[in-house]
Amino acid sequence: MINIKLTVNGEVFEDTVTERMLLVDYLRDQLTLTGTHVGCTYEGVCGACTVHLDGEAVKSCLLLAAQADGHEITTVEGLANGGPLSALQQSFSDEHGLQCGFCTPGILMNMSEFLTLNPDPTDDEIRHGLIGNLCRCTGYVQIVKAVRNAARAMRETS
Amino acid sequence: MYPALIEEYVRPQSVADALAAIARYEAGDAIFLAGGQSAMQAMKSRMLRPQCVVDLQAISELKGIVSDASGVRIGAMTRYVEIAASAELQGGFAALGDAARRVGDRQVRNRGTIGGSVCWNYAASCTPAVVLGLQGQLRLTSGDGASRSVAADDFFLGPLETARNDDEILLSVEWPLFVERSGSAYAKWGLVTDALPVIGVCVRVSLDADGRCESARVVLSGLANGATHVAAGDSLLLGCDGDADAIEAALKRIAQDTDTHSDMSADADYRRQLIVSIGRDVTATAFRRARGEA
Ligand SMILES: Cc1cc2nc3c(=O)[nH]c(=O)nc-3n(C[C@H](O)[C@@H](O)[C@@H](O)COP(=O)(O)OP(=O)(O)OC[C@H]3O[C@@H](n4cnc5c(N)ncnc54)[C@H](O)[C@@H]3O)c2cc1C
Ligand code: FES
Ligand code: FES
Repeated sequence: MINIKLTVNGEVFEDTVTERMLLVDYLRDQLTLTGTHVGCTYEGVCGACTVHLDGEAVKSCLLLAAQADGHEITTVEGLANGGPLSALQQSFSDEHGLQCGFCTPGILMNMSEFLTLNPDPTDDEIRHGLIGNLCRCTGYVQIVKAVRNAARAMRETS
Repeated sequence: MYPALIEEYVRPQSVADALAAIARYEAGDAIFLAGGQSAMQAMKSRMLRPQCVVDLQAISELKGIVSDASGVRIGAMTRYVEIAASAELQGGFAALGDAARRVGDRQVRNRGTIGGSVCWNYAASCTPAVVLGLQGQLRLTSGDGASRSVAADDFFLGPLETARNDDEILLSVEWPLFVERSGSAYAKWGLVTDALPVIGVCVRVSLDADGRCESARVVLSGLANGATHVAAGDSLLLGCDGDADAIEAALKRIAQDTDTHSDMSADADYRRQLIVSIGRDVTATAFRRARGEA
């Protein structure tokens, strides 16, 4: 067992975990933050488990919880953190950027970092940014539109 | 799926401490963990069952790109996202950025490292082919403090095999010499955008003062044996001034003479076709870059 101390959605957690525990399992099972999803059998190809590690989008099924010791994690629960929806979340709601919603947490976490690096993306850039997130329902058209509109809304308010 | 029992996780702050941690275990029982984009999959499938994981994330001496008059040095823990964005990797080094910008997806590029990629040496991968194409030197060190530099030609020994010993850490990939008027490029085709290469082509050329090719390297990825240097391809490009017909003819010969394989992604003939269609653009780009054009 190993002691870890990390910040998740702004709150500091100190825990004891097994060395082999995956970060995604720590978030879901130990912290009951079940917004982070598991979409593949952890091969690291679906992106549903995407969270921010120190602000960067990463797949939490490809990390040990122990690797996150000392770091800052943000999960989809941290985007609104109990307050109003973020502009990106609101845009997914407005544009029907989801159907079953299983892929949505990972897409929101990936695109929220993407938009900080590229605040005015073309549709091609959005699509290229989405490669690591599989959606079995939507066909991506509304997802791309939601990201594009969120980018505009964020530029207008900044 | 989760890893088999791991007894110890350590996060050394220096190369010396990482080597000391590895040395406490029998060969292979402790592994280095870089970005984890291959090692974690292998641990979850139980192909790797390490007793100890030595996480390299905190070792700053393994990170970063240094480029000066004496050449280029890329630390083993430098991530794809940093290589993709580097303004220093131009001309003869541009193929490194071509590959890094197209590995997997954003999340993978935020974690995966050049060191992890070359040490893993997966058969269908991008960075090993580029490091072989650009003739990088792999700098390794082990517990006794001895360090050695291995040429890429001697480092990659076939799929998942390298010349690195279990107790050696890769410090960096280096190019001691800066070659004037050289250009390189890499591109691949996979089943979906930015997927593992069904075929990838890396070409590096150096031109003489008249713009004719005086040295070339052609390396393919996606073959059954992993990254493969096509020495006959090098000589086919010699003397060429970047003329499209000459490039096309050279690529056709290279494709014809290459031992491609069939699998569920593509059959052998299709792979040959890919070598020509990807290779002609890659070669033209390498020539353009060598001439200093964008
Ligand atoms: C979804 C997905 C898509 C991908 N797409 C591509 C693609 O298109 N092209 C491609 O080429 N690859 C692709 N990959 C593979 C990826 O590039 C990994 O092979 C690469 O990131 C490994 O680097 P890492 O830093 O993650 O290494 P790790 O997985 O941490 O380590 C890999 C191996 O190298 C060893 N190692 C790491 N660093 C060192 C060091 N400094 N010294 C000694 N040993 C070391 C480890 O012990 C381990 O055995 C993909 C991976 C995923 C998950
Ligand atoms: S669960 Fe599919 S990428 Fe992590
Ligand atoms: S909305 Fe169902 S998987 Fe994307």
